[in-house]
This record gives sequence, structure tokens and C-alpha cells, in this order.
Amino acid sequence: MKQRTLKHRSLLGTTPGDLLFSEPGAALIVFAILALLPVFFSGYMIYILPQYMLFGVLAMSLGLLWGFAGLVSFGQAGFFALGAYTMGLSMKSGGGIIDPAYLGLLLSLVVGGILAAAVGYFLFSAGVRGTYFVLVTLALSIMLEQIAVSQSQITGGWNGMFIDRMSLNLGPFGKISLFDDAPMYYVILPAVAIIYVILYTITVTRFGKILNGIRENEDRLISLGFNASLYKTGVFAISGAVACFAGALYGTHANFVAPSLAGVLFSTEVVVWVAIGGRGSLLGVLLGGILVASFSNYLSAITPEYWQLVLGLLFVAVLLYFRGGVAGAVAQLVNARRAK
Amino acid sequence: MSTALSVVVDATLITLILALAAFGLAIIYGLVGVINMGHGAMLTLGAYLTWAATTAGLPFVISIFLAAAGVAVIGLLLEHIVIRSFYDRPFDTLLLTWGFFLVSTEVIKIVFGTDLRNVANPVPGAFDLGGIQIPAYRTMIAGCSLLLIAGSALVFFYTALGIKIRALIQNREMASLLGLDVSRMYKLVFVTGSFMAGLAGALISPMLSVDPYIGNIFLVRSFFVVIIGGIGHLLGGTLIGSFLIGGSETLFALFSGQVFAQTAVFAVAIVVLRFRPHGVLRSG
Repeated sequence: MKQRTLKHRSLLGTTPGDLLFSEPGAALIVFAILALLPVFFSGYMIYILPQYMLFGVLAMSLGLLWGFAGLVSFGQAGFFALGAYTMGLSMKSGGGIIDPAYLGLLLSLVVGGILAAAVGYFLFSAGVRGTYFVLVTLALSIMLEQIAVSQSQITGGWNGMFIDRMSLNLGPFGKISLFDDAPMYYVILPAVAIIYVILYTITVTRFGKILNGIRENEDRLISLGFNASLYKTGVFAISGAVACFAGALYGTHANFVAPSLAGVLFSTEVVVWVAIGGRGSLLGVLLGGILVASFSNYLSAITPEYWQLVLGLLFVAVLLYFRGGVAGAVAQLVNARRAK
Repeated sequence: MSTALSVVVDATLITLILALAAFGLAIIYGLVGVINMGHGAMLTLGAYLTWAATTAGLPFVISIFLAAAGVAVIGLLLEHIVIRSFYDRPFDTLLLTWGFFLVSTEVIKIVFGTDLRNVANPVPGAFDLGGIQIPAYRTMIAGCSLLLIAGSALVFFYTALGIKIRALIQNREMASLLGLDVSRMYKLVFVTGSFMAGLAGALISPMLSVDPYIGNIFLVRSFFVVIIGGIGHLLGGTLIGSFLIGGSETLFALFSGQVFAQTAVFAVAIVVLRFRPHGVLRSG
């Protein structure tokens, strides 16, 4: 399978100028802007933005998989919804010895990671091809949706499930209510930033380099003695855990989860965000998720069909002409200007 | 006794209808290796075009062929503009055909709206078989499915065109060296597959309410039919795959709800795909 190399972002440079034009530098600016937004704005925007940031995290979970390991999953929304349901059930259970919200977040990481690892290992150890992986993850997403529908005594079926807003339990120092928008914003934003830093770190470590190798030429990596199926399982497990964790936060923020959150349509929407944002760059993917989801929300009130049509056409255009998406195009532009 | 009979009848009908829905996909995937994620959209389009033609007053039989031809034309455009440059990159065609799905679904929504549409059943009624009622139209569709597959078998094994297509699958380079116009054959196969998908959507349309996502019901199941039956085993594979998917769904549905039965079938299909990635017909 031929696959053109994605334009690589420059790694941490040596001069302050280099840092500014590298991805971590750009990420610093983006997170700084996001951190300042509640100072200047309030109301609906501050309420809804954390949800879009979590969509951005969902997009990053696929960006890691697609951009760095060359695997496309059509089932990320399944993990996202699984996280939200896990959170909901945990909040209902009361949590036992630890805070129910923390239990939900922890469980979502574990459940998502284990499910992805199990499915991933089951498939990759038999050498199942990338195209079949897409189909299986698509099926997985449908199965999770159907389970959510059919097990209505647990999940609420079609009607969905209400999830309480979590509060920040500081142990002996008491609890901070996250009922208002701004406090919740300042809980979710750092979480998103930390996930970004972790995922970015993964991509520049040895593990990430091996994933790149698998993307470029899996057979060569195998003949060099790397257990490619184990690495692919690993990255899918991380991706599943991240998507599930984001879903848990989303559930408690939105106070609600319904089966359609796991559905095919949402799953493939994630693929579109990642393609347009630029799958070679985690920051591009994060912004892709945030911005495309915001636009979709804004424009679907005005012109739903045409906006979705534009997204579909953009998706095809990216596949045909700009494989690096917006982030790739920006990186090319910046590199070209700095080369002068 | 009558339960057993009704299960057999149900399973047979579902098998043949599923085979019909999957056949276009089996042609495109099996013969030219394109994972056509737009298959669902082609089914949907066939259904909508049938609705449009019958609403315009045309007889049902003419409507379904017009609908199939319409989908074939769209398949031709898709192949000519995009797919033909990507035959050697299956992963890219998968994503591109998914893009086709996204775009065409939105176009369908814009042109036809999102309301449910109903195509009048041309053969209403049912007949009685040993105490169980069998819907006449479903039986007719099952017959059509058999006829189509048998007809394709005739073309595939007994005509000059069939020999060319088989030569193409066996050894593309050799076939092209012997003077076969490979790109034209690819185009022909892709358009034929689109035609079959459109025809399937048209024939299925009276059985369901037509909405913009009607094809999605069949997309994943069709893929499992094709993969489990064995890629390239166009005729036997499609039937066996449909039987395993459709038949087991009927069986599971006996013991649990319809929705859960689908989930169980998908799980079984994934396990089969893992251990028999080349389908149940081929070993290893």
C-alpha cells in the first residue's frame, strides 16, 4: 500500500523563534487563548466550548491512530459514548469508597483501554488489514449503539440517560461545585491540555517513531524485529482510552447521553474533523474538532444540508489534494516563509 | 412444526434479500478490489429514484430499471472522476467512497428532503404455505435475487465477457499484455456493480420506509456477507455469506430481540473475519 509521507512538523528547535513556529509553541498560544476566553466572554459560549474541546480530544484520539500509525477507526464515537455511559452508571452507583465522578473517569480510561486492546489484539495478531480494521470498528460502533438501545433497563434505551454534573472533590478540603459554566470550563481545559501534552509526547518518543515506521512500511519494521501487532494494539488501546475518557467528561458536562452518540454518523464525523484539521498534527486535529464542531452547530441552525455538503466535499478535496489537511498546509506555508 | 417451517422460510427470504443487497458490493469489491463505502448511498439513491419515478406515474417495473440506470450513471461519474486513479490504493478508495457517501447523502437530503417516503407495494398480499403467511412481494424479490445471481453466473462462466473478467482477476498484467483493455473492464465492472446496487435499492424500497440513511442498514451487513462468503466468490460466496449472516440473525432473533440479534451476528462475523479472513469457502 503506497502512502505519501506527511509533512513533518519541526520538533522543538534551539532558538526562541524556532519554538514559536513549532507545534508545541503554537499549542501554547492556543491553550493560552482558550484559558483567557472566560475572562472576556460568558454565557452560552463558555457553556458549550468545553464540549467542543472534548470533541477535539476525540479527534486527537483518532489523529494519533491515523496520522501516526496509519490506522483509521470508524468507531471512535463508540468509545466516546461508552465513556459517557460509564460515567453515568458510576455517578448513579454513588462510587463507594472513592468519589463517583473520579471512579467514572478512572473506569472510563480502563474500560476504553481494555476494550480497544482486546479488539485490537484480536485483529492485529491475525494480521487483519487496515481496510478490514475500518469495517470492524464501524461494526463496533453500531454494536455499541445497539447494545445501548437494547439494554434499556441499564442505559435507558432510546430515551438516553441523565448524568449528574460532577463536582471537584478535594478530599479533606471539601468539594467545589462545578455546576456553573466557568468552573467546569477550568476543569476541562487543563484536562484537554494534559491529554494533548501526553499524546504529543507519545508521538516524539521511540514508541511514536516506531508507529511512524509501521505507517510507512510495516513489513520492513517486522523484518527489523519489531512486533508490529503489539505496537498497533498499544496505540489503539491509548486511542480507545482517550476517547472513552473524553466521553466520560462530555457526559457529565452535557448531563445526558443517548445511543446516537455511539452511532455511525457521529463516528464518521470525527473522521472528517481529523482529515480537515490535518492528521499529521495533533494540534491541527484538536482545532479541527473544536472549530468544525462549532461551525456545524452554528450553521446547522441556518443551513444544515448545505454545510454538511460542504464538509463532505472538503473531506474529498483533502483526500485528493491536501493530505495534510489545514495543519499540513499551514506548516508548509510557515516552513516556506522561514526558509527564505 | 409450523414454527420450524416459518423459521426456514424467514431465513430463506432474508438470505436472498441480503444477497441482493450485497451483490453490487460483491461485484465491485470482489472483481476490482474497491471497498465501496458508498454502497449504502447507492442503495438509498436507487430507492429514492424509484420513489420519484413511481410518483411521476411510471409503472413499477420501468421505474426500478430507470432507478438502477440512474445509479449506474452516477457510478460511472464517480469512477471516471475519482476512483480510476486509485485502483492500486485500496485504503484511499475506501475513504474516497466514504466521501461519496457523505456528499450524496446530503444531495439526497437537499433534493428529496428528509421526510419518510413510501413506495407503493406493487404486489400486495400474501399466500398461505402450510399455515404460515408469506408476503408475496418478498417472495418475488427473493426470486429476483436468485435470477440476478444465476444470470450473472451465466455471463461470468459462459460468455466472452466473463472470460475477460475472470482473466482480469487472475492476472491483471497478463490480461493487459494479451490485449485486454484493463481500464475499460474496470469501468464496466464498477458501473455494473453500481447498477446492481441501484436495482437492489429499487427492489427493496417498497418493503421499507425510504429515508436518507436507508442504505446504511445494509452497508455493514453487506460487507460481512462479502468478506465471510469470500472475496471474489461472486456467486456461491454471496449466497453462503448471506445465509450465514441472514440465517443466523433469524436464529438469534428467536431467542432474543431483533436488535440484540444484529449485535450478536456482528460479533460472530468479526470472529469469522479474524480466523477466516479469506472467507469460509477458502481455507487458510
